[in-house]
Amino acid sequence: MIKVVMKRMITRTFLLLSFLTLTSNFSFSQENAKISPSVTLQYFKDNDDNSILKTILTYSKNRMELPLPGMKIALYSGTGKKVTLAEVITDEKGVATYNLKHDSDFSTDENGLWPFSTLFDGNDTIESGSSVLLIRDVKLSMKLTDIDSIKTIILKAEKTEKGKMVPVSGELLSVYVPRMFSFLPIGEATLDEAGNASIEFPSDLPGDIEGNITVIARFEEHPEFGNIEKRTTLKWGVPLTSYVHSSHRALWTKTAPKWMIYTLSILLTGVWGHYLFALISLIRIRIDAKRKEELDNYGKVDL
Amino acid sequence: MLTDKKLLQDLTPEIESTGIRWYITFSVFFLIFCVGIYALILQIDKGHIVTGMRDNVVWGLYIVNFIFFMGLSYAGALISGVLHLFHTGWRKPVVRLAELITVISLVIGPFFIFFCIGRLDRLPFLVMYPRIQSPITWDVIAISTDLVGCFMYLYLSFIEDFAILRDYKELKVPPWKRKLYKALSLGYTGAEKQKKILSNARNVMAAMIIAIAIIVYSVLAWIFGVTLQPGWHSTIFGPYFVIAAVYSGTGLLIILMWIFRKIYHLEEYITKRHFVNVGVLLTIIAAFYGYFTFSDYLTKWYGSIKMDSLLIDKLFTDYYALFIFANYVGILIPCIIIAFPKFRTIRNITIAAVIAITALWVNRYIIVIPTLETPFLPIQDTRPDWIRYSPTWIEWSLTLAGISVYGMLFMLVSKIVPIISISEMKEQDPIEIMK
Repeated sequence: MIKVVMKRMITRTFLLLSFLTLTSNFSFSQENAKISPSVTLQYFKDNDDNSILKTILTYSKNRMELPLPGMKIALYSGTGKKVTLAEVITDEKGVATYNLKHDSDFSTDENGLWPFSTLFDGNDTIESGSSVLLIRDVKLSMKLTDIDSIKTIILKAEKTEKGKMVPVSGELLSVYVPRMFSFLPIGEATLDEAGNASIEFPSDLPGDIEGNITVIARFEEHPEFGNIEKRTTLKWGVPLTSYVHSSHRALWTKTAPKWMIYTLSILLTGVWGHYLFALISLIRIRIDAKRKEELDNYGKVDL
Repeated sequence: MLTDKKLLQDLTPEIESTGIRWYITFSVFFLIFCVGIYALILQIDKGHIVTGMRDNVVWGLYIVNFIFFMGLSYAGALISGVLHLFHTGWRKPVVRLAELITVISLVIGPFFIFFCIGRLDRLPFLVMYPRIQSPITWDVIAISTDLVGCFMYLYLSFIEDFAILRDYKELKVPPWKRKLYKALSLGYTGAEKQKKILSNARNVMAAMIIAIAIIVYSVLAWIFGVTLQPGWHSTIFGPYFVIAAVYSGTGLLIILMWIFRKIYHLEEYITKRHFVNVGVLLTIIAAFYGYFTFSDYLTKWYGSIKMDSLLIDKLFTDYYALFIFANYVGILIPCIIIAFPKFRTIRNITIAAVIAITALWVNRYIIVIPTLETPFLPIQDTRPDWIRYSPTWIEWSLTLAGISVYGMLFMLVSKIVPIISISEMKEQDPIEIMK
């Protein structure tokens, strides 16, 4: 009797647990149906004054930002009555770029800023998302000159305000030199009231074999100007003189140091010599066995 | 060749017939292997993003397994070579296991390097454009040389058994196996001249594989030692790695002795004496391994170089449990079990061996990973997930697949040759075996 009751209890518990597991799984899958994306809009102005709008579409999974490739992004200008600029598709990194046309007359807001916006409509699995950016057009110029034998970077920035070009003052500009893996910061300067700033360039930076070096001045992720860059290449670097004679032997040259070759050769000759000895021993065993076989067969024939 | 009939009757049944349990075990191993293959296909298809390896931690479980398996291999070579050269009386029932550990580990280990390489298509460049200044080239040369040497040594030790099996008329095996024994025995008959030639070759190769094992594992250690990384740039890494390898290999030998003794009913041949002897060897090596570990960490801790201090702090915080297990539990427990005679049972010694081998794997893990998580130059804009390594199921699957192949190869070899060398045993004093 007790056994039957126990059996019934176990069965009911099992069924209840199964039901709970199934229903909890169902509600879990319902909750996690849609991805919530992150939409970032950025403005870039390169060395040739080309303006680019860049949208980055990602989502967060396991504390990692993963791209959403192949998604259609709509770009607009203006605030109230938006003008469609373009529809672009994100690449494998979740990035969609659009080159703004120079001759376009973008509408401005009451502060004279260009309002840009990006919209991702979403789909069955991803929620929609959008981002807005307000940009003031800035003209950055860079002049590299020797002043009293000191290499000097002269920077000037002007912005559009009420249809006029006025100096940008009090803003920070950074100067870099590209190196192998990243950009080496050379210095930072704050623009004065006339929109000018100067930075002294170090005289001991290595350039290429002819001393060429690239200097980059940037507004970086400025809340009003976005990312603006100017770059110039000139012979301000120390010419690279790390020419190594072809006969030079070192860890980093084509030909190895002699001691390495000798050591390796001695070691390998010693080891493979012993292998050869073992191999010859095997051949000798085989020859001896064959001879023995022949002798045995000869004896059998004789009999 | 004439051999004691009892020996043949005791040691050949596993070659003649295969039980259902063998097939079940093999199928389980094969299933795990298939999961590993699936993981590998995913990794090749999607790239290394499916692993836990990122910009900072570029070496993960694969390199840990590579070092671990290579260590087992060199330990097998050292143990079998030393026991052979010193004519240790009790070695005979266990020496073949040590030889098999050498070769099978050496076959599996390098595969983990292939899993770790992102561009396998560039692998031939290592041979096409080698630079002998590179430790990676040293490793390629060393491993390939070692592989050839170990195969030759194994073959030399098998020839007499092949001849015995060829001449054992009552052996019930399929014709292809007989043909195999005939071909591989090279016509060996046990004549005095042949015996002498074979003995000389085995002695030479035994000495050679000891030397190669030490050099080759040192080369592997130097890959770490010559690198200017906290925790790796150490002059004692060569001998430290060799000692650690012998420690893990001895542990594995005990475990295999226990497994084959149990499943092939070899209680008469692999006795408690063998377990105690190999166990004592394990204790001595544990002491050396502990000494090297202490020396290495003490000098780094006392030197207080910024990055070394950061690394040691990390070991005592993030990796505290693993560090204590690898360097305290993994050394002290086997020593305590084997040092006290009343604890020296076959089961306890095997448990000590399991602890030792697990600790050694963990030791490899805490040598490789925390160092890579402590880079000299902090990489800009790095996500926290990229700094902290966490292996994915892909890496675990391939690790388990490696262990499965290890098991499968042992199982297959045991179906071709006896797991105890008949030729060695026929010269064994029966009283010695029974001791």
